[in-house]
Amino acid sequence: MTDLASSGTRRTGGTAASNGRGLTGLLLVSAPVALLGWLIIYPIFNAIARTLVVQTETGTAFSVDTYVRFFSDGYALANLWLTLWVTAVCAALLLAICLPLALYLRFAKSRVAGVLQGLALFPMFVPSVILAYALIRTIGPNGGVDLVLNALGLPKINSPYLTPWGPIIGLVWDNIPLTTLMLVAGLGAVSDNAVEAARDAGARPLALLRHIIFPQIGNAMLVVLSFTVLSIFSAFTLPYVLGPASPEMMGPFMQRTFSQVMDTRMAVTQAVISFLICAVFGAFYVRSIAKNREARR
Amino acid sequence: MAQLTLKNLGKSFDDTDVIRDLSLDVADGELVCLLGPSGSGKSTVLRMVGGFETPNRGAILIDGEDHTRVPPEKRPTGMVFQSHALWSHMSVAGNVAFGLKLRGLPKAQIRQKVQEALALVGLKGYGERRVWQLSGGQQQRVAIARALVLEPKILLLDEPFASLDQHLRERLREELRDIQRRLGITTLFVTHGQDEALALADRIVVLRGGEIEQVASPDRMYRGPQTRFVAGFIGSMNFLPCDMRGGVSDHPLFAVRAAVPDGPVELAIRPEALTLCPARGTGMRVHLVTDYGTHLLVDVDLPDGGRLKAMCPPSARYETGQEVAPEASHVALFRGDAKLAEVTLERRVAVHV
Repeated sequence: MTDLASSGTRRTGGTAASNGRGLTGLLLVSAPVALLGWLIIYPIFNAIARTLVVQTETGTAFSVDTYVRFFSDGYALANLWLTLWVTAVCAALLLAICLPLALYLRFAKSRVAGVLQGLALFPMFVPSVILAYALIRTIGPNGGVDLVLNALGLPKINSPYLTPWGPIIGLVWDNIPLTTLMLVAGLGAVSDNAVEAARDAGARPLALLRHIIFPQIGNAMLVVLSFTVLSIFSAFTLPYVLGPASPEMMGPFMQRTFSQVMDTRMAVTQAVISFLICAVFGAFYVRSIAKNREARR
Repeated sequence: MAQLTLKNLGKSFDDTDVIRDLSLDVADGELVCLLGPSGSGKSTVLRMVGGFETPNRGAILIDGEDHTRVPPEKRPTGMVFQSHALWSHMSVAGNVAFGLKLRGLPKAQIRQKVQEALALVGLKGYGERRVWQLSGGQQQRVAIARALVLEPKILLLDEPFASLDQHLRERLREELRDIQRRLGITTLFVTHGQDEALALADRIVVLRGGEIEQVASPDRMYRGPQTRFVAGFIGSMNFLPCDMRGGVSDHPLFAVRAAVPDGPVELAIRPEALTLCPARGTGMRVHLVTDYGTHLLVDVDLPDGGRLKAMCPPSARYETGQEVAPEASHVALFRGDAKLAEVTLERRVAVHV
């Protein structure tokens, strides 16, 4: 009886040392959790509340009028579709460019791979505004490409500047380093021996990609897609400088609604809608990761 | 069933010769172990046979056909890796069936062959499991089944049991030997474990610095090493430096008579060729007795500061500090790396305390 009681006390109370360790752990975790709450969770709920609660003469009231206005406004919907289209095209282009690059960097043993890795990471250190200016000077009207073509006696290019292809080119260029790094990290999970075993079993390059490499980097591809969606939805500088005036992408649209139309509540509504679309991709990613972990247990 | 011929193979990495002019014939159904220390080039040889490395010089012939530049996916070889290299996103059956599916075999035939291969390695009924649900030994069995199901002409094994514990390693080794004999498949096995090579191989190839040091049966390799390196690398060996003077060694313990030119030599004596007799005033004392169950290994400190290892029956009794006199039954004489002679000595007494 006494033994049982005393062991029960030990289990609930724990030792002074283990209590101290638990407290230290809580303190260490509390700072990032507080920051997350303050800088991310609170602004999300605050923004959602500001779009749903309106001031009336009698006080406050619940209203979804800004959401109704957004989804009934052809221009707003055109902006949303443009953003989704640019996101899809950028994601497809990034995968098409970065996947072969990442495969080469992961499996190539030559010295060229090192040089190529340096070049692939270079855009990471170029600020967006400098990149935008450089693109205007090269592929813009009368830019570097036009000058070269003119010197060769060839017609000018149909410039992508101020068309949806302007921000697409800029965003793809800007996102190549991070996407490549994430894919290379994902490919790190595919061991050399796993690839060699597949080749030994008779797999040619395409079969190797389809049956061995792609199934093992599914999570990395999901991360890439999620990050692409998040970064392109939140992009401002490149769509603002290189993109078309109408329709426009969500970033410049929000900024213009806020500072020129001065409709703060509508701007926040646009932000909430963008956030919800990104959250769907985020939830999809988290679900896939959780499913994989569950299957491995 | 096939014959493998390596002709004057050479391989360099960054201007460093890893394999130098290596030639070897592996007969039909033979199991040859490539044995050597780290960096000796044994895995490189195996990878060249598998097609994962291309030799800079020489040729690889399988049944007389040149496969030197043939990529791995087109070679009639099957490889088992040290790390198992199983595909974790596939089931056990999926791993084994992968190569068969690529060859476009009918589903029923694939199912039958997979079941046969899994039964061969003792994993009947494990097909639907995920590979991470298996133990290390079971995973390596799946890797062996995956290689065998494609019926390769040459089976290549790259230290397949290195990551397993001793007991499991011994069991799998026996099973592999049994399967290899049953199928009669020509096998090249890389290991750095001499016990593994001695237990498994029809012939052992000892590599050193990218060159073949000696090729021999396990028995000849152990009992008749041709170089000092092989003598020291295979099993335990006591090396005692001394001089030959007029056909007799001047070692204070072992006066060995052999018709070799005068000069410095090393007497090489296996621990099991030494017998310890109790004696007083010899100055040689037992330093340590290690009981391995099947035998005792006794370390004896010599008056000159050297140390001898002697293998004794488990019934023998020695105390630390006890004075003994060693006697040798078989001695090899080396000068530099070359063997000069082998001498069988007559035992005077064979007494174990």
